[in-house]
Amino acid sequence: MRDIVVSKLRKTFKSKGKEVVAVDNLSFYVTRGEIFGLLGANGAGKSTTINMLAGLVLQDSGTIKLLGKDPKKDWEFVKNRMNVSTAYFPLTDVLTIRQNLRVYAKLYNVKNAEKKIDELLEQFELTKLADKKVVTLSSGERTRTALCKGLINDPQLLFLDECTVGLDPDIAEKTRRIIKDYQKKTGCTILFTSHYMHEVEELCDRIAFMDEGKLLTIATAAQLKKQVKKHQVELTLEDGSDELKELLQEEGLTVLGGRDNMLVFEIDAKSDDVNTIVQRLVKLGLSLKDIHIRKPTLDDIFIHFARRKK
Amino acid sequence: MKLHRIKALLVKYFYISINRVDRLFDVVYWPILDVLLWGFASAFIEQVSDFNLLSMALGGVILWIFVWRSSQDIAVFVLEDFWSRNLYHLFSSPVKLSEHIVSIIIWGLVRAIVSFIFLSLISILLYQFNILTISPLFIAAAVALLLLFGWTMGIFITSFILRFGQRIQVLAWSVVWIIQPFSCIFYPLSALPPWAAAIAKVLPTTHVFEGLRSILFGTGQGNLLYAFGITIVLLVGVSFLLAQSFKAAKRKGMLARGGD
Ligand SMILES: Nc1ncnc2c1ncn2[C@@H]1O[C@H](COP(=O)(O)OP(=O)(O)OP(=O)(O)O)[C@@H](O)[C@H]1O
Ligand SMILES: [Mg+2]
Repeated sequence: MRDIVVSKLRKTFKSKGKEVVAVDNLSFYVTRGEIFGLLGANGAGKSTTINMLAGLVLQDSGTIKLLGKDPKKDWEFVKNRMNVSTAYFPLTDVLTIRQNLRVYAKLYNVKNAEKKIDELLEQFELTKLADKKVVTLSSGERTRTALCKGLINDPQLLFLDECTVGLDPDIAEKTRRIIKDYQKKTGCTILFTSHYMHEVEELCDRIAFMDEGKLLTIATAAQLKKQVKKHQVELTLEDGSDELKELLQEEGLTVLGGRDNMLVFEIDAKSDDVNTIVQRLVKLGLSLKDIHIRKPTLDDIFIHFARRKK
Repeated sequence: MKLHRIKALLVKYFYISINRVDRLFDVVYWPILDVLLWGFASAFIEQVSDFNLLSMALGGVILWIFVWRSSQDIAVFVLEDFWSRNLYHLFSSPVKLSEHIVSIIIWGLVRAIVSFIFLSLISILLYQFNILTISPLFIAAAVALLLLFGWTMGIFITSFILRFGQRIQVLAWSVVWIIQPFSCIFYPLSALPPWAAAIAKVLPTTHVFEGLRSILFGTGQGNLLYAFGITIVLLVGVSFLLAQSFKAAKRKGMLARGGD
């Protein structure tokens, strides 16, 4: 069952007489129960994509299917079962957190609303702030309020557009756990964007990379990492690194930098180079203090994709 | 349209009102100033001439409330959603634009009725003028017409806000005052120069206040039937315009931007 099916989606905006292509010929699907990450540089078209799915922005062309339905025709079915959250749009600021959540609970016709609200406030550690107006909250508190709203109707389909911006590391970790647990418990489908790669790696089953509105690739984090062919090695000697530098040059390896007795160099992911280097060092009578092979992270992948053309 | 969603929005307006005193303020403050101003002015004019301005002026001020509240509330509530960048959450929920507008209309009506009661009481207390002694049938028709016309204008302004964003927000407060001089509230249609009279005759409001004068003084050229006709035509027209503007707003991404 595919909860999100996007086909040849295109969206252009007119800005100061010029046409901006925000989303270009975008096609992908998300299976029920998946957490699907949408990544890309600023302006890549992630938010525009989510906004089109959420019915806030009208596409120029292309089709969207949500929960197996055409959201234009079965909007009520779809919208009652979905929700959105983002750090960038707070709830009504003259209302308190609880008042806001009550309004949205009624809009989504939530049964046992007060109980649901109390649960969410508890989960996001907002119980003590429940009767404060949104305008007086810190940005992280507002973000958590928006997250409560996003879960108020137990959505089957959840769009999270940079929903953790501004959260402190502790609450951010808890938030990730809440999202994960909620997903496990309900089997819902989540479309997720974030610029925090560790978060994406932790949460997302599959990841799509977008660039200038176009889809570059879709893969799992592990598959994406395999696309980076070079690993970085950080090697520290007891003293003196000049011989090591010579040695690396002899082996034809690129030195990226270093300081004191430490050097950073690049090796082919599949090669045996590290072994060779270490053996030769031992033969030369140089003693090794520390060696560290840095595997590519999703950050590296991001940078790799973002700088690809440049 | 679903009742629970309209109710949800009404609850939201209720919360806004109890959280923000200034929103209660404009239900009573400005209208009362109007009543005081025209009450004292009429009392003075009656002293220096034998013309009875009081019932016309106060009747006019009290009835005008319905145009004022119904048009301004629609525009201002939509604007406030723009300012607080609220359209994002609102329109990603199952709310329909029609439910949004209907809820504002109902809330505006409640506010207008509160104003109406306040002003009626004040004019009885201060000036011994009771608006309900004027033909109740006429008052009912006048109120209905003025409300319909107020909604028409409110929807008209809202379509502009959706199309052009907050840049034109000044319209939300001013349009009702641009219409007012041409509505012949405090003077008869015959007092206007020809160019202004031409505009006035088209406006349904003029016919209401001319009608008021025919009841009070036996002189007036109001045509309520025409007024109802034109208002309904306009209301249908602006509703169509609003639907178009909403689509345009979605195309431009205004709902996910919150104006500029
Ligand atoms: N309402 C709008 N009007 C005009 N241009 C817009 C509008 N919304 C988005 N754009 C443009 O469309 C492009 C894609 O924007 P979008 O917000 O989707 O990017 P994003 O991937 O979410 O970026 P970020 O990581 O910064 O959130 C950008 O060039 C942006 O300037
Ligand atoms: Mg974005």
